[in-house]
Amino acid sequence: MKRRAPGWLLASGGLMAALALLPAVYLGVRASEADADAWGMLLRDRTWGLLWRTLGLAAAVTGCAAALALPLAWLTTRSDLPGRRVWAVLLCVPLALPTFVSGYVLLAAFGTGGALEEPLTRWGLPVPPVYGFPGALLALTVSTYPYFLLALRAGLQAQDPAWLEGARSLGLTPARAFWRVTVPLLRPAFASGALLVGLYVLSDFGAVALLQYDAFSRAIYVQYEGAFDRTYAALLGLALVVVTVGVLVLEVRLRGRAGYFRSAKGAARAAAPVRLGRWRVPALLLCGAVVALGVGLPVGVLLYWGVQGLSGAEGPVLGPALNSVLASALGASAAVLGALPLAFLAVRYPGRLTVAMERAAYGGYALPPIVLALSLVFLGVQALPFLYGTLAMLVLAYLVRFLPQAVGTVRSTLLQLNPHLPEAAASLGQAPSGVFRRVTVPLLRPGLLAGAALVFLTAMKELPATLLLAPIGFDTLATRVWSATAEGRFAEAALPALVLLAVSGLGVGLLVSQEGGSAPS
Amino acid sequence: MTRLLSLFLSLTLSSTALAAETLTVYSGRNEKLVGPLFKKFTEKTGIQVKVRYGETPQLAATLLEEGAKTPADVFFAQDAGGLGALANAGRLQALPKELLDKVDVRFRSPQGLWVGTSGRARVVAYNTKKVKAEELPKSILGFTDPKWKGRLGWAPTNASFQAFVTALRLLKGEEAATQWLKGIKANNPRVYKNNAAIIEALARGEIDAGFVNHYYLFAAKKDKGEIPVANHFVEAGDPGALVNVAGVGILKESKKADAARKLVAYLLEPEAQAYFSQETYEFPLVSGVKPSAALPELVKVGSPQLDLSKLDDLRGTVKLLQDTGVL
Amino acid sequence: MPLLTLDTVSLRYTSTGTPAVDGLSLAVEPGEVVALLGPSGCGKTTTLRMVAGFERPDAGSVTLEGRVLVGPGTFVPPEQRSVGMVFQDYALFPHLSVVDNVAFGLGALSRAEAQARARSMLKLFGLEGFESRMPHALSGGQQQRVALARALAPGPRVLLLDEPFSSLDSALRASTRVEVRRVLKSLGATVMLVTHDQTEAMAFADRLVVMRAGKVEQVGTPEAVYSTPRTAFVAYFLGGTNLLPGVGFGNGARTVLGILPVAGQAKGNVLLSLRPESLRLVPDTDSVAVGGALRAEVLAREFQGPSAEYTVACGGLELTVRGAPELALGPGARARLEVVGRAVVLEDSPE
Repeated sequence: MKRRAPGWLLASGGLMAALALLPAVYLGVRASEADADAWGMLLRDRTWGLLWRTLGLAAAVTGCAAALALPLAWLTTRSDLPGRRVWAVLLCVPLALPTFVSGYVLLAAFGTGGALEEPLTRWGLPVPPVYGFPGALLALTVSTYPYFLLALRAGLQAQDPAWLEGARSLGLTPARAFWRVTVPLLRPAFASGALLVGLYVLSDFGAVALLQYDAFSRAIYVQYEGAFDRTYAALLGLALVVVTVGVLVLEVRLRGRAGYFRSAKGAARAAAPVRLGRWRVPALLLCGAVVALGVGLPVGVLLYWGVQGLSGAEGPVLGPALNSVLASALGASAAVLGALPLAFLAVRYPGRLTVAMERAAYGGYALPPIVLALSLVFLGVQALPFLYGTLAMLVLAYLVRFLPQAVGTVRSTLLQLNPHLPEAAASLGQAPSGVFRRVTVPLLRPGLLAGAALVFLTAMKELPATLLLAPIGFDTLATRVWSATAEGRFAEAALPALVLLAVSGLGVGLLVSQEGGSAPS
Repeated sequence: MTRLLSLFLSLTLSSTALAAETLTVYSGRNEKLVGPLFKKFTEKTGIQVKVRYGETPQLAATLLEEGAKTPADVFFAQDAGGLGALANAGRLQALPKELLDKVDVRFRSPQGLWVGTSGRARVVAYNTKKVKAEELPKSILGFTDPKWKGRLGWAPTNASFQAFVTALRLLKGEEAATQWLKGIKANNPRVYKNNAAIIEALARGEIDAGFVNHYYLFAAKKDKGEIPVANHFVEAGDPGALVNVAGVGILKESKKADAARKLVAYLLEPEAQAYFSQETYEFPLVSGVKPSAALPELVKVGSPQLDLSKLDDLRGTVKLLQDTGVL
Repeated sequence: MPLLTLDTVSLRYTSTGTPAVDGLSLAVEPGEVVALLGPSGCGKTTTLRMVAGFERPDAGSVTLEGRVLVGPGTFVPPEQRSVGMVFQDYALFPHLSVVDNVAFGLGALSRAEAQARARSMLKLFGLEGFESRMPHALSGGQQQRVALARALAPGPRVLLLDEPFSSLDSALRASTRVEVRRVLKSLGATVMLVTHDQTEAMAFADRLVVMRAGKVEQVGTPEAVYSTPRTAFVAYFLGGTNLLPGVGFGNGARTVLGILPVAGQAKGNVLLSLRPESLRLVPDTDSVAVGGALRAEVLAREFQGPSAEYTVACGGLELTVRGAPELALGPGARARLEVVGRAVVLEDSPE
């Protein structure tokens, strides 16, 4: 049964897709200026080597983050782990830590001569690797597993307990049933998490550069940084766009052809939490270790920097904090509103065009953020001079940058929404726009809030676009932290970085408290 | 909600409605360093300064992207490369001769499109607990000796390092530069993101020596107190003794060129020059202003004879770095 | 010897609340289809889930073929019970094709054998050609048959069905019921199902277990339970009834409708159940006079196709009468009431 999407919906979805593709278009414009020399450089063996190294890292981080997030998600949703909600919040906080800080933190703790290297060695404990591939893998896994955690938690909470019971009654032990039913049914959650993590790793520069791993994003950065060569950088960026398209196609395959909504009439029974028994202590140790690495360590190092600091001349923090919250909140709202038509079209009116529009949202996600920032400079100067240099421009940048995160969340919420409810509203005389406003949006509220909170968290730490596109003098916590660390003044970075973590922690709290409340069915 | 909206509007409008006597500066130099200078300039002249801080290359790319429609009047760059890129693209306007003449010809644009405001020397920073000063080679070329295996640190993605490699190519030729890069690479140096990270690593004892700009040591000491790290200046005229500059240029389309020239002039006045030497431990470039007591005289550093504006041609350097597997 | 035995099984969900299942005992013979019947909240689904192993009783034991599944100090997990279950929403795995769903529980067989067995099960339920479909691409009736095939494929000793026909539309329900019963009987399966639909229970089961508030109210063949309900609750729940207080004297009882014949023996004050079809309504034409007839006024009429149900006032009581639909008796019409069947003496006290 195919229905035609209303025009206003197609138009707004098209606008969002076009905005999301802006960085790719910009790269196309810049790359068209490339001469044979630049093409020659692109097609050298080195580029392929870099590509493999980068894809290898992305694949490894995605795998490790998924493997780490799965037990954590299960423990914090399905088991009787003490303090499940508190753990869930703490386990998501690493999302808020900028990688340009977490890289320094890992080095300060475990690097040669780092604060924890000597004690760990003395007690005969292994020192976590910080350099090269293992270091980048560790740093990126710790900072990206929350994407999986959030997706898997939502997936687990939405699963009908009857599926697991069915497997048990067909003779499967709890462990086998978990692997053969629970995990395969989490496929959409794994797919959406993998998309965010994999593409993020492709785009990340901060961690790989600091931890001395040579990746594609670093190569792009070097062109801007050292050579002021926007053309060759654009060629490299386009190569990354091609990779992204490959990843997006792969993800659609990964989603499979199953229908992931509950077939039941009536409400699902809530599953009783699984008793951990003698596994309680190991489970607590696992959660504790991850939180210690992802939250405890950065906070510890930041406090150490702060205490150690001799200058004591930190700038004001309240103003930047308010600016951060304002810009991130506006960005989050914009991203979620922008995601609505895309997700709605893809779920309710599936077709080649609508699915392509939804996929387009991810088009620029793998690009280093500097490319996105420059593409918006390009757009602002060429087409929107009245917005250029205003907060609106920054909000637009956040919208484009974080649209994929919002689309993913909104889409999965929409998939769980019973399509009969909007139809009921239509039968009660509501026009499509009225149905959307009075039924769909209120029912989607928890998902919209979750998406907004996720964007808020990541926007709080965004740097390149903030530096280049914010109104002049619009300091945020992230720019404060950058300003201090760029010159090696770590003591000054401590306070804004801690405030950044604290504010983001509140955001995560909101995210987790929205879960499982009034989930639409 | 209405409050949020009004705040949004006020932020939106305040940045577009600039007063006539307000300069817009894009600064690749850190706010902590140059912010107080702008403040003093405003106190003196009454001209307001709005500053967008960022990283020099990113701001340069932004200015190139903005082209003629840029809102910026002045570009204050961390290094000559960024200024050179803008000059080559025809984005800068000529500065008055009396301003240019205050600075040694080595430290300004040959076309008069930008002028250096302070100097930063390449040095070899070393851990004083692990290395004695007399063990350090007199030339940067000496670090290819295998005895430095596993002891060195560098930041090949960093603009100031790349500027040095360009200087090496120009002074000693492509072959020598290639040999040097291969030689250092054979010593398995640790790779860092920037100069500050190298000083950090030296302080931790992760490496014994690293190629940096001279003033990062002083910044680290301000942050951490006494650390076992010192600067080693190689002999005068050596490529390793390169003095690069931070400098300013005025954007071609600036409608406030007069005010902008006042700012450039202020940065070259003894007060500002002294500020650079005392606050940032950089070398003042205007004659008559003495550098910080912690530093040698600029003449003694002996920067090699080289047109700094040629340092903007980095494509060759990046290619060399990539061909030798450094990048 | 019974195949499945539940012995004084009890389960309380909260420590203070009323028990969901309260000292329930039941024996199921091999090859028998037993229906647990009762209103929602009577504990029937909980009982089923205790047999399956998804709930653990606080007290009592469950034995299958002489093996204690759950009892003091014993708890066999669901996967080791050889108990198949079909869920109310079927719980087909959405990530697996139809044939993979059915082969899911056949881990002991080689893949080829499992596939072959799954295909033969599907054939049994008339689902050839649907093997590679995904569950969401099936109709409700097809999904239900896949769920049955899946549950039966591993050869469970007992098959549990939770409201198996409730998700089907009524036209499909009756035909599916007959078809499923035929297949189950041909396999000799022992089946325990849960339902709140008395028509379904009576049509499908060999034996009914009527439950109320966690306890067994009455057990028997559908015919026996229907014709001789033990309590007013059972009489009402199975087909509806008229309750009449009376004074018994052996095989009859004196009531406001006169002297009624009763099944069994009645003594003293008793409560009688008189089924609607045991009454007959005759248009009140003065020309015909029948002895023993009572005057009644029609209050309401509900057309039900093959019959019609009338609510009438008679002797100060409101009675339900099943009659021919062609009787032209609308509300307000006068009619005479005849008693054509026997009343049943209930165990409830007449107050």
